[in-house]
Amino acid sequence: MKEPGCEDVLMAQMAAVDGEEPGFSTKQFSEHIAACANCQHELKQLQTLDQVLAGHTLSEPRVDLWPAIANRIAGRTNWQPFALIGLLLVIYKLLEMLPARDPGIAFKLVPLVIVVLLFVFIRENPFRINTDLVLER
Amino acid sequence: MDDAEAIKRCQRGDREAFRHLVERYQKRAVAHAVAILFDRDDAEDVVQDAFIDAFKAIGTFDTARTFYPWFYVLLRHRCYKMTARRRPTESLDEALLIVTQRELPDDTRFALENALQSLTREEREIVLLKYFSGLSYDEIATHLQIPRGTVMSRLFYARRRLQGKLAGMLITEKEV
Repeated sequence: MKEPGCEDVLMAQMAAVDGEEPGFSTKQFSEHIAACANCQHELKQLQTLDQVLAGHTLSEPRVDLWPAIANRIAGRTNWQPFALIGLLLVIYKLLEMLPARDPGIAFKLVPLVIVVLLFVFIRENPFRINTDLVLER
Repeated sequence: MDDAEAIKRCQRGDREAFRHLVERYQKRAVAHAVAILFDRDDAEDVVQDAFIDAFKAIGTFDTARTFYPWFYVLLRHRCYKMTARRRPTESLDEALLIVTQRELPDDTRFALENALQSLTREEREIVLLKYFSGLSYDEIATHLQIPRGTVMSRLFYARRRLQGKLAGMLITEKEV
């Protein structure tokens, strides 16, 4: 088996320091470090760095992104219901065009029902007059 | 409500359930985005975009997995897209990135933040996930979608570079 190089040994040693599986046996890298002055020096420096970096956390700022995200999600409209409504209206028109057929008053109310459903779906009241002043950005 | 429940409700089209996920993870996400972008405003923008991406893709999410590592992949993709199209960021005027839980002089803290900023994006990201978010190698591998061996080597070279940048500071620390 190939002898591990300095970098492999240092990587493994740092993994062991981190409490992780180093990938080499402890004996293997301990022997290397004991015999290698460069590795000893670099290992000391890496461990000092470890101490400097320990005891910090990422600063988690106060944010409230939900209102903006909720607006953007609400702005995304599903096209499928609109396509379905369009399809229903086309079918209605085709049925209406059939000759020698009198479907009666109920059939004539179908487009009205579809339009009412559309306004229910988009949650808009067509009779409401919006008097709020909106300043454009 | 736990994450799995919120995600199932989102998958059934409940927008309000998504609020739970946003409110639970937004701070952590902004902190991670600031760590990559070094800009608070850009960080908030990309976090918003990443949450919108998550909302669009939530239907495909496997509820057996945990939410944040999956979301983090979307977030870093957004961060990297943002860094690709903007000019390099100036240094931080004030400490934005880290909170110290022990006595550390301000100049040491700034030196540490500047040294972190001078690392490459990938190096900085892995150092922050390891030290400041306290993730294990396996968790880092999941967050970054890289093999565990790559985590080991990337972390090693990042530490080496950081050690070079902080050479003066490390001597002081050692003497203390």
